[in-house]
Amino acid sequence: MSAVLQNNAPAAPLVRLQNLNKHYGDFTAVDDLSLDIQEGEFLTFLGSSGSGKSTTLSMLAGFETPSSGAINVAGRSLLRVPPHQRDIGMVFQRYSLFPHLSVRDNIGFPLDIRKLGAAERNQKVDAMLRLVQLEAFAHRRPAQLSGGQQQRVAIARALVYEPRILLMDEPLGALDKKLREDLQDELRQLHRRLGITIVYVTHDQEEALRLSQRIAIFSHGRIVGLGSGYDLYQNPPNAFVAAFLGNSNFLRVTARAQAHCDFEGQELAMRPTTGIKPNQELLLMLRPEKLHLLSPEQAATTPMPAGWNEIPARIGEALFLGESQSCTLRTAGGTPLMVKSLAHAQGLQPGQVVRLRWAASDACVYTEWNDADLSKAAAH
Amino acid sequence: MLLTPNALGWRLRGGLLLVTGAIAAVLLLPIVFIVLLSFGSSQWLVFPPPGWTLKWYQQFFSNPEWMQAALASLKVALLTTLVSVALALPCAFALVRGTFPGRKTLYAFFTLPMIVPLVVIAVAIYALFLRLGYTGTLLAFVVSHVIVALPFALIAIINSLKLFDRSIEDAAVICGASRLQAIYRVTLPGIWPGVFAGALFAFLVSWDEVVLSVMMASPNLQTLPVKMWATLRQDLTPVIAVASTVLIGLSLLVMLAAALLRRRQPRSR
Repeated sequence: MSAVLQNNAPAAPLVRLQNLNKHYGDFTAVDDLSLDIQEGEFLTFLGSSGSGKSTTLSMLAGFETPSSGAINVAGRSLLRVPPHQRDIGMVFQRYSLFPHLSVRDNIGFPLDIRKLGAAERNQKVDAMLRLVQLEAFAHRRPAQLSGGQQQRVAIARALVYEPRILLMDEPLGALDKKLREDLQDELRQLHRRLGITIVYVTHDQEEALRLSQRIAIFSHGRIVGLGSGYDLYQNPPNAFVAAFLGNSNFLRVTARAQAHCDFEGQELAMRPTTGIKPNQELLLMLRPEKLHLLSPEQAATTPMPAGWNEIPARIGEALFLGESQSCTLRTAGGTPLMVKSLAHAQGLQPGQVVRLRWAASDACVYTEWNDADLSKAAAH
Repeated sequence: MLLTPNALGWRLRGGLLLVTGAIAAVLLLPIVFIVLLSFGSSQWLVFPPPGWTLKWYQQFFSNPEWMQAALASLKVALLTTLVSVALALPCAFALVRGTFPGRKTLYAFFTLPMIVPLVVIAVAIYALFLRLGYTGTLLAFVVSHVIVALPFALIAIINSLKLFDRSIEDAAVICGASRLQAIYRVTLPGIWPGVFAGALFAFLVSWDEVVLSVMMASPNLQTLPVKMWATLRQDLTPVIAVASTVLIGLSLLVMLAAALLRRRQPRSR
């Protein structure tokens, strides 16, 4: 949880999803999902396609009806409120601008539907055009705009009627990387200036980390991780999140005591973990940048701090990546590992045996995991 | 392009030109002949005409029977267009957007009149309307024409609706428009070229329909093609050539208007 959210914690959430389910025949798209969204928060649904994130967003917008469960906004149930009366703004992946209307009339559309007076309407549309810096394009048709400009029109159209919640369904997915990053910065600034609640859907974890205060990681219709990007990365609640978000190394170990375990016949220190039994199988997770790579000579001359571990490993491949260096290794027992470091160790040869060190407190300990989830680590 | 004419030899190009020309001639010459004959002075539709005259046009336009038939054709065609589009629009929405079982069967059912021989449909409708006492009425003409015109209108509208990104309509809904408002203000303007094409097809199908019309006609109410057919059986007057020219002329006019309208449509999407 970020500091901002902890301050808000006592307040009632703006959006409350309770035990939400959505079935399509035998397929469960959303599985008993509960989530609170705070007012003014930027929350991202992150997951691969088919994980239920878009379906959940669709139910919030009102385009899909939950099979069961409750959706409350500001204490009021939305289940019987049709989408056009929910007072929610939404930005779609393919911009979805009205092709026969000018930029100005696209942005004015929600106000025209609400039968606002001409003066007020034009004033609000002008303000939006300024906000998204498209004054010069007001009279163009959507087809005459670039993708980035079209998406800015879509954002203006979704904000002009001042909804409490803005939903964004992979809004930058169709843009190239540079433009996407520019618009991400714009979005973050927009959120800060307007204080609006944003629920954002993406499958791009970098985008989720850049934008959001909190991230909800979706898998098979459930939220398997919820928290700030920092917390989810540093202390993933489970092996799936660890494998999904960023790169990770997994060590299969056997518990010896509360803070000790065996890895390939070697004793390691680990985070004190309650409720584990001796000889229980455990999983240690280490981020690649938490591992320190030392040559045998360096290891011999550098004393190891207390609470650190050291294991030998053989170098498979060393890659120079500009700002960093990445190195794949394999332990004597065959466990694949990956190390990422900013420092450049010269002369690393494939096949060379080196020493890996890490602080025991940097390794997460899992008592339960699904082996299939770990393979995602290799896919990165 | 795989077959750019420049890449072909002149011999091949010449051959291609010849074949294309021959096909075009086979398709177009009868029309050209009929139009020329309508201006010919011979009473026996002799080609080439011995001289030129407008007297057949004068006969055509001063004969109340021909005028009534032309007017009836126009009325039937316009009503058929209206009814076909009015039916095809909700049909298209149901078939494209709906998730109910049997959609494919329903679609096949709606397009069946394109496959079933016209005579079969004509006889069936005739038998029904004869029993109901509707033959010779405007209703009989419009209903029978709608049956054969509807598939054309439906296919044109379905195709444009399938191409229309549904999230644009959803965007209008989330902006505060009810589903009907969104369809009226956003989707219909978006699929308008398809609706227009559908209307055009429906009009043209009805405008030169003869098989059904012959069955539906009565001495009091007959369309232009029926009147032509009836006249043709009595004598081969060049007035028929005039009627044909009028039929072709209006069809051409409608298609020209459509082409112009389409050009005025700004390229969207």
